[in-house]
Amino acid sequence: MEQIKNEIVDYLKANSFMDNNSSLKDGDSLTQNGIIDSIGLLELMDYICEKYSIEIPEDMLTPENFDSLQGITNMITKLAK
Amino acid sequence: MQIDAYITEYARKTPQNIALEEGKSSISYSCLDNNINAIASPLMDFNHCRFAILAESGVQYIKVLMAVYRSANIAVPLPIEFPKFSLEKILDAAHVTNIIATDTQYSRFGEHFFERFGTVIVISSDTSGKILRKKLETETNDPELRLVLYTSGTTGTPKGVMLSDRNLAANAESIIKVLRITSRDKGALVISPHHAFGNSIINSHLTAGGSIRVGNMNFIDLVFNLIGSGVSIFYGVPSTYRILLKYPDRFKKAFANVRTAASAGGGMDRAIVKDIKELAPDLEILPMYGQTEATARLAYLPAEDVDEFVDTIGKAIPGVILDVFDSEHRPAGPSTTGELVATGDNIMLGYLDDEIATEKRIINGWLHTGDLAQKLPNGYVRLLGRKDDLIKIGDHRVNPREIERNIEENNEVSRVFVVPVYHELMGTAISLMVIPAEGTEIEKLFAFCRKSLPGYLCPREILFIDHLPLSENGKISNRSIIEEYQHVKASM
Repeated sequence: MEQIKNEIVDYLKANSFMDNNSSLKDGDSLTQNGIIDSIGLLELMDYICEKYSIEIPEDMLTPENFDSLQGITNMITKLAK
Repeated sequence: MQIDAYITEYARKTPQNIALEEGKSSISYSCLDNNINAIASPLMDFNHCRFAILAESGVQYIKVLMAVYRSANIAVPLPIEFPKFSLEKILDAAHVTNIIATDTQYSRFGEHFFERFGTVIVISSDTSGKILRKKLETETNDPELRLVLYTSGTTGTPKGVMLSDRNLAANAESIIKVLRITSRDKGALVISPHHAFGNSIINSHLTAGGSIRVGNMNFIDLVFNLIGSGVSIFYGVPSTYRILLKYPDRFKKAFANVRTAASAGGGMDRAIVKDIKELAPDLEILPMYGQTEATARLAYLPAEDVDEFVDTIGKAIPGVILDVFDSEHRPAGPSTTGELVATGDNIMLGYLDDEIATEKRIINGWLHTGDLAQKLPNGYVRLLGRKDDLIKIGDHRVNPREIERNIEENNEVSRVFVVPVYHELMGTAISLMVIPAEGTEIEKLFAFCRKSLPGYLCPREILFIDHLPLSENGKISNRSIIEEYQHVKASM
């Protein structure tokens, strides 16, 4: 779990969505805090699919699964099983 | 008539009819009217003053906007997708001393951001307003001014388009006619309401006594659920449709009962039209064209002509006259290239506090759009590029020279050139060609762009070059930059 979380944060930092020195709480909203927009979310989704070799069904593209570190991590864990 | 007065009228005539929907909640005209009154109440002792609105897309935003109208003040909605310092630049240019923010935006931007304002009102999700401070000041404004929409300001000088009640009502009426909007229609608002297109959806549906379902494009599952919830008219910029078309099965199902798919903000291309028609053969596709300077809309392409004329903007909407003028401001004949001009009750009052810019755009009552165009024999108009350097990136009008200057001034580089490049979803994105200086670092440039520019302007790639992209006659233009880029890519 922690590893996935770190990898997502690394992605967000590497692609400059976040500053290197800023931090993100597990439940923080990525969209409400202006970290990522709709195009950015689609890019993040592509990255996740490739990195974890998973396919994300459309009905999982919801705020519960995509708007926070915790949600994204849970979703990847569920789908990667 | 003011737009909010229509709401009062429907609150009297059809009080139980739904006006706005968002997520699981909906609000009737009668309830909406009461909420607007409640928010407007502390604004009533301001006398035609400018109020910045800092609110995410949603029902709250619409209530606050209408409350500013109701209190006979002037709304200045802030494009919240812009980074903080761009918003500050807009605020400097707009000379606004009053602000209304949602509690979400208040905590996101932080107390410090609000220090510049004499009046700060924070609206919570239950519509109760908290007045943090209040300072009545006298302002001198154009007596007709009701709304200021910012068309640029991401990087260069912000330009505020001044609109009047007459502008807003006239354009809403025209759009109602073109889209045949009635009180039974439900419109989908998934694009930003802070710009002309989104704003026009609010105005036209509320003027018609219909309803609007408010959402956004962030989470695909929710977007398709929204569309399938009884929406009769869907509105999107071309990139909205490109994103939705990535999911053909969901598209087909969600749009099965939608009457019209309207577009604006950029030209629809044949590929989008073809894909939509395959998945939803009964869906009416209605491409529209406009500018913030014309409140929103200027022209539309009748649905029956979409196949043949999708590369044109069609004809003027009711109430607008379009023409193509030559360089002497005289009407150009058919098939002659000139500048597209427009006149009608929807043409802006001018740019806020900028008479020089206004005089360049409105000449003898004609709005000069800056778009090069030709009239076809059937009266339709085809666009042929811009008179100036402006380009469309992700369906937003931007000035590449201003972006270049902004990056140059804030980074260790010698020169920067913005290249419009193809993007699968946005249509057009940007890449950068950079003449490096000592200390130029690609990572730093990327980080600066991501942080200081809205998402659609984040470069896809950054290439180093060692000479200026000059044309044969020694000038730098979009064309010479694109040619140099193609040259560099070919030799890579």
